[in-house]
Amino acid sequence: MMGQFVVRNLFHRPMRTLIGVMAVAVEVALVVLIVGLTSGLLQETAKRIEGIGADVMLQSPSAQMFLTFSGSPMPIKIADKLRELKYVRAVTPAFLQFNSTGGVETIWGIDPTSFRDVSGGFVILEGRDMEGPNDMLIDDWQAKAKKMKVGDTYNLLSQDWKVVGIVEHGKAGRIFVPITTLQELVGARDKASIFLVKCTRSEHADDVIEQMKAIFPGYPVRPLKDFMTLMTSTNVPGLQTFINAMIALAISIGLLVIFLTMYTTVLERTRDIGVLKSLGASKFLIVRSLLTETAALCLLGILAGVALSYLVRAGFLKIFPTLSILITTDWIVRAGSIALIGALVGALYPAWVATRKDVVESLSYD
Amino acid sequence: MAITVTIQALNDRKCDPELKTVEPILKTENLWKLYHAGKVEVPALRGVNFEVMPGESVAVMGPSGCGKSSLLYVIGGLASTSKGKVFVDGNDLSEMTDAERTKLRRSKIGFVFQRFNLLPTLTAKGNIAIAQYIHGDGFDPHRFAVVTKMLGLEGRLHHRPAEMSGGEQQRVAIARAIINEPKILLADEPTGNLDTKNSDIVLEMLRRLNKDLGQTIVMITHNPEATTYFDRVVHMRDGVIVDGIPAD
Repeated sequence: MMGQFVVRNLFHRPMRTLIGVMAVAVEVALVVLIVGLTSGLLQETAKRIEGIGADVMLQSPSAQMFLTFSGSPMPIKIADKLRELKYVRAVTPAFLQFNSTGGVETIWGIDPTSFRDVSGGFVILEGRDMEGPNDMLIDDWQAKAKKMKVGDTYNLLSQDWKVVGIVEHGKAGRIFVPITTLQELVGARDKASIFLVKCTRSEHADDVIEQMKAIFPGYPVRPLKDFMTLMTSTNVPGLQTFINAMIALAISIGLLVIFLTMYTTVLERTRDIGVLKSLGASKFLIVRSLLTETAALCLLGILAGVALSYLVRAGFLKIFPTLSILITTDWIVRAGSIALIGALVGALYPAWVATRKDVVESLSYD
Repeated sequence: MAITVTIQALNDRKCDPELKTVEPILKTENLWKLYHAGKVEVPALRGVNFEVMPGESVAVMGPSGCGKSSLLYVIGGLASTSKGKVFVDGNDLSEMTDAERTKLRRSKIGFVFQRFNLLPTLTAKGNIAIAQYIHGDGFDPHRFAVVTKMLGLEGRLHHRPAEMSGGEQQRVAIARAIINEPKILLADEPTGNLDTKNSDIVLEMLRRLNKDLGQTIVMITHNPEATTYFDRVVHMRDGVIVDGIPAD
């Protein structure tokens, strides 16, 4: 009976129900997409870093783990020091430059020879490796996203680059240029953002890390085999705060809309509440009926929110094919729970107001 | 309109004069009800003494503002007393909390209102069934079938209030009020929004409920003709009963 009552009430005012459902859907989709976008970006970056095949990475003391926005150059001569360490087979510097003109991308300035020594080289799908100062390699995703092919000119950082090869994705970045050219271009001659170290054997990584920490105290030295697990929002300064702020904003939207929806519902149903009370309905039953209605509305919103998340992700990926949005069951459940709790909190006051209504006044309410 | 009453099915509740107790099922003693308009106290009831015996049907008449509705709300437990006592089936409402009065209402009192007060989102069936649900015994299909047949509602059960005439809505309201077999049925001008034909149908149904099933009924009305369907008529004026049992 209660189920029937709730369902009929929901359909009695379809527009109000729709607005409530959409508010919850937006709330859920916001949470799922914000978390999905950040974790997708982090995971995808981490995967590509791991994909290089190096064992250890050295960064400057002020550098962030999230390499996309990293600058923080160090003297390139550090590479020579690293090569002298025991169990080190190869070292390659990389200079990373963030570019937001015409898209959001990180350009990797690399030394092709030492990079090959550390990583085993790219899998070149089309064209050839870099040889000249203005040569550029892009990965297959970038080529698809930008609709580029070998021989095309790619203007980045106000410089025309010649795309000489398309490489398989999954190694470091998506755009590679010679490190020296990039250094000159941004006025950072003989500087590097990171150093990637290949050990003689992977088991020696800890020994190498110990040595590096001794020589370069205060410099973050990270083993790359665990990089994926380290690359979480909590390890990127400010990111978790940003995510929390966005989640709080999403919850506020949902809570306020549900509050308003249920408050107007209670006002509109003043007489009905009076009737229920005249029939002997307890306060608990009235609260339960309103909270059940809220929960039903919220569940519809959660379903719509999940659908909306996938829809928005599909749209984003169509526009930005290199973007990674990780939608996980875990976060769908979390976002749904957050929305449900928020909605129930939002409905509590209207439900309380309903229980406080005077029966006689309610029955004469127009 | 033909009214089919399946009396046998409800025979267990049929009035048997020998089983009647001598105690009134409803009794008020020096009942006062005061309303507050700002800082001013407005008395709606001024020491009402009133008794209704089990199986009795009583019509309460009086001009607007004389306290008829206040009396109905207080004896029905919808409003609290300001002073005095109200006994319903031996329970003193004036000593009860709001929650206790709600519980008593659920089990012992049925209401029929002038404006029908059906839940607009539910069908006729839903409006009757929800009273059973609130009562706590769940849906009783037998009782439901008997009551709806008695009130001639079988063909209208899947219609919502907006799809029914006033007379049909009031019959649904009566069905809802009696579905849980209350001790007392309180009707607040049940024919006030009906035309003559439907008024007669509703009054006849109330009369049959009383005569055939022994349902105790207290009805408020403006309509002198309506009182002919009842055992006793009580007149009120200025918050007191001016005939029947005299006010203090």
